[in-house]
Amino acid sequence: MDSNYLLARAKDKDLLEKGECGGAVSSIFQYLLDCNLVEGVLNLSHGEDIYDGIPTLIEDSNDLIETCGSLHCAPTMFGELISKYLQDIRLAVAVKPCDAMAIKELENRHQIDSDKIYKVGLNCGGTVLPITARKMIELFYEIDPADVVKEEIDKGKFIIELTDGSHKDLKIDDLEDEGYGRRVNCQRCEQMVPRNADIACGNWGTEPGWTFIEIITPKGKELVEGARQNGYIEVKAPSEKAVAIREKVESVMIKMARKFQDKYLEENYPSLEEWDEYWNRCIKCYACRDACPLCYCRECELEKEFYQDSENTPPDPLTFQGVRLSHVCYSCINCGQCEDVCPMEIPVARIFHRMQKKYRDQTGYIAGMDEELPPLYSPEKE
Amino acid sequence: MKLTHTICPSCSVGCGINLITQKQEAVGTYPYKRHPINEGKNCKKGRECYELLNEEKRLLNPHIKKSNLVKSDWEESLNLAVSEMKSCEPGEIGIIGSGNCTNEECEILKKFATSLGVENIGFPAGNFPYFDFETASLNDVENSQFILIIGNILKEYPLIGRKVIQAKENGAEIITIDYLEKTNTGMISDQYIQTKSIRDFLDKQAKEIQAKLTESSVIIVGKLDHKEELEEFQQIAAKSNSKIIPVMKECNSRGAMKTLSPLSEEKLKAMIDKVKLLYVVEDDIVSHMGEAVKKLDFLITQSTTLNRTALVSDVVFPAACWAEKTGSFTNVTGNTQNVQQIVPPPGEAMDDAAIIMKIAEKMEIDWE
Ligand SMILES: Cc1cc2nc3c(=O)[nH]c(=O)nc-3n(C[C@H](O)[C@H](O)[C@H](O)COP(=O)(O)OP(=O)(O)OC[C@H]3O[C@@H](n4cnc5c(N)ncnc54)[C@H](O)[C@@H]3O)c2cc1C
Ligand code: SF4
Ligand code: SF4
Ligand code: SF4
Ligand code: SF4
Repeated sequence: MDSNYLLARAKDKDLLEKGECGGAVSSIFQYLLDCNLVEGVLNLSHGEDIYDGIPTLIEDSNDLIETCGSLHCAPTMFGELISKYLQDIRLAVAVKPCDAMAIKELENRHQIDSDKIYKVGLNCGGTVLPITARKMIELFYEIDPADVVKEEIDKGKFIIELTDGSHKDLKIDDLEDEGYGRRVNCQRCEQMVPRNADIACGNWGTEPGWTFIEIITPKGKELVEGARQNGYIEVKAPSEKAVAIREKVESVMIKMARKFQDKYLEENYPSLEEWDEYWNRCIKCYACRDACPLCYCRECELEKEFYQDSENTPPDPLTFQGVRLSHVCYSCINCGQCEDVCPMEIPVARIFHRMQKKYRDQTGYIAGMDEELPPLYSPEKE
Repeated sequence: MKLTHTICPSCSVGCGINLITQKQEAVGTYPYKRHPINEGKNCKKGRECYELLNEEKRLLNPHIKKSNLVKSDWEESLNLAVSEMKSCEPGEIGIIGSGNCTNEECEILKKFATSLGVENIGFPAGNFPYFDFETASLNDVENSQFILIIGNILKEYPLIGRKVIQAKENGAEIITIDYLEKTNTGMISDQYIQTKSIRDFLDKQAKEIQAKLTESSVIIVGKLDHKEELEEFQQIAAKSNSKIIPVMKECNSRGAMKTLSPLSEEKLKAMIDKVKLLYVVEDDIVSHMGEAVKKLDFLITQSTTLNRTALVSDVVFPAACWAEKTGSFTNVTGNTQNVQQIVPPPGEAMDDAAIIMKIAEKMEIDWE
């Protein structure tokens, strides 16, 4: 096993069957728990249905069967759950690139101990908000969302599988033109392969029933090797063609994401008047701050600042978002959480993503990927 | 660490929320994006709802009044409450529930009152009267073309506010009525009407606005000065075939109304004046009725915290809070949602239904 690319799948029959693409990821978690290399695994269990992913801490490897499979309608974020509640334990976590970026930023700020955590990365082409997904399936697929047993994003299509085993697909582009499909921040996201995790797993470039693994760190190499030697996964080398296909798809996706960045952060970026209208709605509920994996100050300056602000009218946007902007914009990882949770439908992530993009163009600093804090990062926030 | 789906107890919208627990203790909340009402969006009050469970003033034991309120046990406190109840005629007893009680608790409380022959029973509902007409759904709000709003909905009930915003983005016209010079909801409206009172608006301006209402309009009544006003709004809606949605405060006000009569401050005052013994379940009656309770001979309270009412009560029973009990809440649009027990109640606290049953048992009430 000398290449950093390999194909892997579960040895365990059940994980092989229930896993998204051969269950390699679940098997690696099984290995980590069984050999006591970690005390817990953080990933998603399925709630009510396929649109309901619930962050879950698995402590017994027998329970991993419940968390198998990719949930594309579960835009969760693990960063803060780890820094707030799981700091003390040795942990493995299934991370989308945005999860991995949040963790990286929190590691840089000493809120997460990188020695205690295995980051098993999942490639990500985007997530859809659960209720949006349900509406879109009803509206465009003309299917009762409850009849869908599985969903998948592949080759630019959102594919659903129904209870009777049949499939139906529509082009993501068309759905997104209608305001459905992936979250807008996901459309702009150009981090498809989590090269800030220990390994990056995905289905690009694989054969059915196998997951393509790119090894990123020495810790990741050891991890995959350990899982193989202990009989949890079987591996083989991907063909050169498979590697080439994977690279090709990735570069096409990045190009698309850049197009969306231009669209949302430049061409269609709200005008000053439009922002004024947005800020008029703001109810100062702090949801955007609380959901942002980068905001972690214990005593938030916002609360000091707005403590006496009138309670029946919106806050002054320049100060309100300004404080947050000065604290997090260099590091915005475009995870979209702030926007997801805003009760007033204000596209907050656009401001932060736009600022980080400009900053990145000037300094080369890529939030969530680099080992160090941004050059202008103010030290008094430590 | 564990995340569990539940329903926000902090207002009547009925948003979903995930409660984070660690070692049987609620430590935080997390967005519940699969919930159809709010899609993972919660206001501040909602996100902080877990703090209700850990309040410093949580009651852990029954208390009785000697010269001061002192810690007691279940046996002694129940005996005291029951002997006082037994010494009263049904007409001398008043029972007050709350819009924070679950549907099941309201039903048990009602049954308890009926068995005793107590007719003075209800729950504080601000200025909202009983109603049973069909109300607009949140989707109706989102899909409407014209919305008339009474009150600062954006601030008070943000997740209905969101539906207003979505309607506005789809081109709906919004008119808001309120007392203040400026409000959040006023600022996003096409027209903001500052009024002295809702009566004043109904008398002077309602006619003109009525002309704008069609079947794709919704009237959101976020507050009232007098209960009669709801009927007038309802008539306005009926005449134009538009929909209406009265927004009451507590998470189960709408459900409580199905079993208990809604009481205005006036009615509440009249009831307190009439009875000798008042049995209050979950309502912090002193916080809105003040001194009025002083004239009572005996006050029995079930409460989660040592609030102002508990402090002046003769017997206080420690009650389980939301997330410590199982039951259901009916939200503002009449949608009933179940809540499960997620954490155990603290100390000796019990859920309200269990406490009512214990009293009933000692009163020798035959339930079935
Ligand atoms: C939202 C999403 C988008 C993806 N898009 C691509 C893509 O475009 N290209 C590509 O090559 N691969 C993509 N993948 C990765 C791919 O679908 C498989 O997850 C990967 O090949 C591993 O397969 P497996 O059988 O080993 O996983 P399994 O053994 O089934 O394990 C999957 C693990 O991921 C966790 N998980 C599921 N959903 C989420 C989520 N939303 N957030 C965080 N953790 C989650 C599960 O709980 C489980 O632990 C995506 C995955 C996800 C979750
Ligand atoms: S932000 Fe990027 S990594 Fe995160 S869910 Fe969206 S596409 Fe995936
Ligand atoms: S500002 Fe918004 S998009 Fe940026 S990191 Fe914070 S939550 Fe994510
Ligand atoms: S989440 Fe939205 S409404 Fe709440 S403070 Fe942030 S921008 Fe304002
Ligand atoms: S709007 Fe009401 S139900 Fe929704 S989160 Fe806020 S307080 Fe809770």
